[in-house]
Amino acid sequence: MKKVLKLILLLTIFLWSEQGYAAELKNGAELKKCTTCHGKPGFSKVLENGKILDLYIDEKILRNSVHGKKECTDCHVDITEIPHRGEIKAVNCSKQCHFIGNTSGAPQTDKYIEYKNSVHGKEFFAGNKKAPVCQDCHGTHNIFKPSNGLSQVSRHNLPRTCAKCHLNIYIEYKESIHGVMFEKGNKDVPVCTNCHGEHNIRRPEDPLSTVSKGNTAFACSKCHSKVEIMKKYGIETEQVETFKESFHGVASEFGSKTVANCASCHGVHDIRPSTDQKSSINKANIPKTCGKCHPGANINFAKGKIHVNPKVKEAGIIYYVSQGFKWLTILTMVGLVTHIFLDLYRRKARSKETE
Amino acid sequence: MDDIEKTKKKEEEAKEQKAFSNNDSRLKEEIRQSLIKDLEKKVDDGVDGEVTEEMVDELMAQFWKAKEETLEKFLKKKRREEKRALEGVEKQEETFTRFGLNFRIQHMTLFTSVLLLIFTGMPEKFHEAGISGFIINALGGIKVITILHRIGAVGLSAMFAYHCTIYTIFFRQGRRDFVELLPMPKDLFDVIQMIKYFFGLSKERPKFGRFSYIEKFDYWAVYWGCMVMIGSGVIMWFEVESINLFGKVVVDIAKEAHSDEGLLCALAILIWHFYNVHLNPRVFPMSWVWWNGKLTKDEMLEEHPLEYERIMEKKETKS
Repeated sequence: MKKVLKLILLLTIFLWSEQGYAAELKNGAELKKCTTCHGKPGFSKVLENGKILDLYIDEKILRNSVHGKKECTDCHVDITEIPHRGEIKAVNCSKQCHFIGNTSGAPQTDKYIEYKNSVHGKEFFAGNKKAPVCQDCHGTHNIFKPSNGLSQVSRHNLPRTCAKCHLNIYIEYKESIHGVMFEKGNKDVPVCTNCHGEHNIRRPEDPLSTVSKGNTAFACSKCHSKVEIMKKYGIETEQVETFKESFHGVASEFGSKTVANCASCHGVHDIRPSTDQKSSINKANIPKTCGKCHPGANINFAKGKIHVNPKVKEAGIIYYVSQGFKWLTILTMVGLVTHIFLDLYRRKARSKETE
Repeated sequence: MDDIEKTKKKEEEAKEQKAFSNNDSRLKEEIRQSLIKDLEKKVDDGVDGEVTEEMVDELMAQFWKAKEETLEKFLKKKRREEKRALEGVEKQEETFTRFGLNFRIQHMTLFTSVLLLIFTGMPEKFHEAGISGFIINALGGIKVITILHRIGAVGLSAMFAYHCTIYTIFFRQGRRDFVELLPMPKDLFDVIQMIKYFFGLSKERPKFGRFSYIEKFDYWAVYWGCMVMIGSGVIMWFEVESINLFGKVVVDIAKEAHSDEGLLCALAILIWHFYNVHLNPRVFPMSWVWWNGKLTKDEMLEEHPLEYERIMEKKETKS
């Protein structure tokens, strides 16, 4: 059965390529020149430092990628002869095709500028050879649209793509509630880019970062303030609003660098539900978590709700205090203002009488 | 002997002069006659009677004019002096010291602290408003705001502690005022009388003693406000100790109470108190009693007639 399927697959590919053969004769011939060597699995080169550089190119993948109609030399412009001589330079996507006003029709957005200002771009231009360039995330011969499941930057593959460099973070993430749900195929949980951004990733210390001190609450609220997402998991959406109304929220809004935001208590990559023993907001761990900023905090910190909304009855005594003051204020002010207007009216009436 | 005769003579002369001055035309005639006599002697030769008459008429006119002017000048001067003297006497009689220096300094500490507290507290309560961000950033960020708020808090607490203990217990004026400020059944009748007056059912405003029900309300509102604000403020200032001792719910209650009572205080001060001491047509733009502690007789009669009566009775019994 498998053999039959393979045969059918090969046959369709053969027929499909046959159709376009006449038009792509010249290019096809060129590609075939390259695949003479690069088409062989295991074709590689031993580098000076002892590492093995895999030079095998899977033609099928390349042909299905967004650059399927490009030829090798369209990108590898410095290759003019076989066998190649001298150093083969890395392809520069943004300078060769994806620049503003290019004639080849390559998509161009401001993402390159975003990259230049991101932590990755800054490091790259500062000469850090470990800093990722386009190909490190998007792939080389296997570039697909992000919506395509084969893409390295598709939602499904993204955490692993980032993990190529940020392995420790990936391990933390995998164990967090977001990571666990992600592995289960959940489409709502955030992957790296949902919080950190894509081309505009900045250091958390940078105020412009989506996960900076001031912006963290906003990053979390993108999902955690949406009822339609949160009701599926039984999570309250008030948390963001109550945080903003708390002193932590207000101080954070006006640029305090030391005040707590979501991540200070809930963790960053290792966010876990409060029922989890390892969670920083598990009842047993709360004194320690609060103690980071409030030295000497004891178990009383874990008693009662942290995110309290005085406007709802569930807040208990706080709700009644709030209501009591509300009516006290309204009644007092109505009384006083009435007294003022009556006084003014009477004064006017009297001054008229004396006239 | 000579002296007695001289004084007698003078007295007679003065009497005569008085009699003359009582009758302008007689005086005029006298002077006229003496002038004619004098001139007739001097211009006896070659000058006829008509010329003499003419000269005398002219002289008389000039003299009379000068006399009237001088008299008017003197009278004006005398009137002015009298008026000034009269005013001075009245002023001394008419001012009443309402608040002593001690109390005025307490009030100044209170309002500086409270204004600072409102100014730094409201932007935190209404943090979403644009002006809040402007105020906080203009003053140097949230850290500075919290420090300023604590400075205000210390000012208010110190003033409140001093007033409730030292001033109310150890100062005679403090003790007396505290008793005067206690709510009495009369205040309720005053409110009813005031409502009647407002609606024209009665022509008379209620007569207040040293403190009207309005002032009593202000005083006890500040008393209650201070207790709530200082109490909840201290709980939040020492939040770790408060939570460790009583649980987080206490800090949550304190925060809610602090925030709500703060708004009530601010509204009461900005609307009610400002109307009574600033915006009200009788005192606009401001009653100066907070600065010099003094009221005039008119103000006393209008606002505190019963106290005025009492002070006057005391003065009478003393003298």
